Amino acid sequence: MLKKIVLTLAALLVTANVAFAEKTIVVAQDATWPPMEFVDASKNIVGFSVDYTDAMAKEAGFKIVHKNVAWDGIFAGLESGSYDAIVSSVSITEERKKAMDFTEPYYEVRQALVVPKTTNVTTLDEMKGKTLGGQISTTGYFTIKRAAGVTAKSYDEIGLAMEDLFNGRIDGVVCDDPVAASYALQQEQYAAKMKIAFVIETQEKEFYGIAVKEVLDLLNKGIAAVKAKGIDKQLREKWIGR
Amino acid sequence: MTTEPQNVRIVITDGAIIPDPKERRIITAWSISFVGALAALVYLCTSRPEPYWRLLQFLPDGIAVTFKVTVLSILCSIPIGLVTGLGRLSRNRLINLVASTYVEVVRGIPLLVQLFYIYYALGRFLKVPDLLAAIIALSVCYGAYMGEVFRAGIDSIPKGQTEAARSLGFNRAETMFMVILPQAWRTILPPVGNEFIAMLKDTSLVSIIAVADILRRGREFASESFLYFETYTMVALIYLLITLFLSKGVSIMESRLNYYDRR
Repeated sequence: MLKKIVLTLAALLVTANVAFAEKTIVVAQDATWPPMEFVDASKNIVGFSVDYTDAMAKEAGFKIVHKNVAWDGIFAGLESGSYDAIVSSVSITEERKKAMDFTEPYYEVRQALVVPKTTNVTTLDEMKGKTLGGQISTTGYFTIKRAAGVTAKSYDEIGLAMEDLFNGRIDGVVCDDPVAASYALQQEQYAAKMKIAFVIETQEKEFYGIAVKEVLDLLNKGIAAVKAKGIDKQLREKWIGR
Repeated sequence: MTTEPQNVRIVITDGAIIPDPKERRIITAWSISFVGALAALVYLCTSRPEPYWRLLQFLPDGIAVTFKVTVLSILCSIPIGLVTGLGRLSRNRLINLVASTYVEVVRGIPLLVQLFYIYYALGRFLKVPDLLAAIIALSVCYGAYMGEVFRAGIDSIPKGQTEAARSLGFNRAETMFMVILPQAWRTILPPVGNEFIAMLKDTSLVSIIAVADILRRGREFASESFLYFETYTMVALIYLLITLFLSKGVSIMESRLNYYDRR
């Protein structure tokens, strides 16, 4: 047994030394956001952004370590240097830009409202007097907080908000459209009861970017390479299917 | 030559030294923490109104929710605790078993898991509103703890009291409610106060089921402003001030009860 451990450690050391030549970037991901990043049955972090960053790393020649970090506090961790970047469907906003740097955008996203099948609405104004949920600190939650006459409720995870909607405690959930689709269309149980009411039209386009502290150039190089080779389109097909 | 005894104080104790209730000390751990926390709060709000003052204005509805949850839960958990405590002391095997099992089960499950369970797991069958779910979870959990407090309090009353009451013709229920409990109350009250403080702190867990208490309001503020240090400093200070207030109340109550005890 001891021999095995020693051998494994030795092997690890050797490989670590090899890897040392390449720069390692630790990225934080809140793996509760299907299909962008989530944990699969065998406890691996998978999803669009995971494959995307892996492809970036391959193209631009660096190493990626994925780290599952809870959303609430994910920005604080970047600030304190627990990891180099956040690849967790972070929309680029003016407020966030003040606190951190962003790479080039890697995905365009819109906010979608998920409601029970029995609700018929086409604009956010029609939800006046209703309670809407969203994940704390996401653009979806900021949207409902800004909406007039709507009671906003913040959840730690989007899954908990969806569960509350499923159980009928709230009237709707606002989140990124791929996530809304993943819950309201693809998960059988939810799909039977919920639907996407509409996608909220905004004047400014919203994009995912990678929030970083220091490794901006390297990551940008990776994004450019992934886009140039058309890998992003393949991944889109694989994970989002559009 | 005889030496005159000058102010010789002989202290006789039988174990732990009981502080003299007449002795008033100004510098204690309590006063240092309280004055320190209050000074920090005032200093931060006046020297840096942005963001601290804005934060202080953002949090009050959270404080109200925290208090509401705590007070309602404690009010529910006291009767649960009384019933459980009596059940644990019951000579009826079945009642005893039910009460003991309840305590074992509830004390074996973390409060956070209980909250999740009542809100999300049972939520599939029962549509419990979030505030009610929080109060149920806290009451059920603390009811078990209170049960132990009540049991210990009742146990602390000498057997002679029961025997005397019984021989005077009180039946078992009368003995408990008219003789034992009124006396046990004095032992029970201080730990109940401590449970109250513990519960107030534990209500920070209810933010997980989207109840907008102090902590969740703080998290919402931090998540938008990215001012993590400032926000959590403020949240911690507010919790500290509230619990210090309450612990003072409990210790005053305790010393009063002790005072009458020794007279």
